[in-house]
Amino acid sequence: MGCSLASSLVDLKKELKRSHDPDFLFIEPSEMVVTQELRDVTAMGLRDIRYDIGPFITLVDGPLFEFLWSERRTLLLGQVKDADLVAVSRADSIDAGELNIIRQTLDRYSSNLIALSIRNGDGLAEVVKRACGEV
Amino acid sequence: MRVVSVSGARGSGKTSLIRELTARLSMKGKSAAVIVNEQGDAVYEQAFIQAHELQVRTIRGG
Repeated sequence: MGCSLASSLVDLKKELKRSHDPDFLFIEPSEMVVTQELRDVTAMGLRDIRYDIGPFITLVDGPLFEFLWSERRTLLLGQVKDADLVAVSRADSIDAGELNIIRQTLDRYSSNLIALSIRNGDGLAEVVKRACGEV
Repeated sequence: MRVVSVSGARGSGKTSLIRELTARLSMKGKSAAVIVNEQGDAVYEQAFIQAHELQVRTIRGG
């Protein structure tokens, strides 16, 4: 994430805090941002405004995992390693064997890995609870 | 205000998850905003934004 982009993110965060002060502010970064970078940028702004930080959730696209692991491993691990929660998304589109391979592969990088399907609701309650508390 | 981030590859379901979370929060009377580092088309349509009183801001590039 470049300096100007980080600065824009901090400015928008301040603007939203001051104008609306939402209960929750979700950040949806580009696919190229790693979690530590995001943590650093998210903490910027604490000097001027007050807010709580986290969790940092990383979605690992289940059906795309083989490609991501093969071609974009550094980026994938950069997103997985420092995340508070890793969810294997579109889990309804892969079978149990594939899910198991993903679990075994990422196990050493994250102890907080769950399977998620927005379509059938699997894992959703856990993600909601972790992200938003008891809503 | 609590800042929550949802990262992942394009098409991994970031927007779908955030939509799900903001809709649930809205039903419970909680307010939400989203900062999107958008690389493609707009992903939060006006009807959804209005229905859930969602604040959406976009950053280009990334």
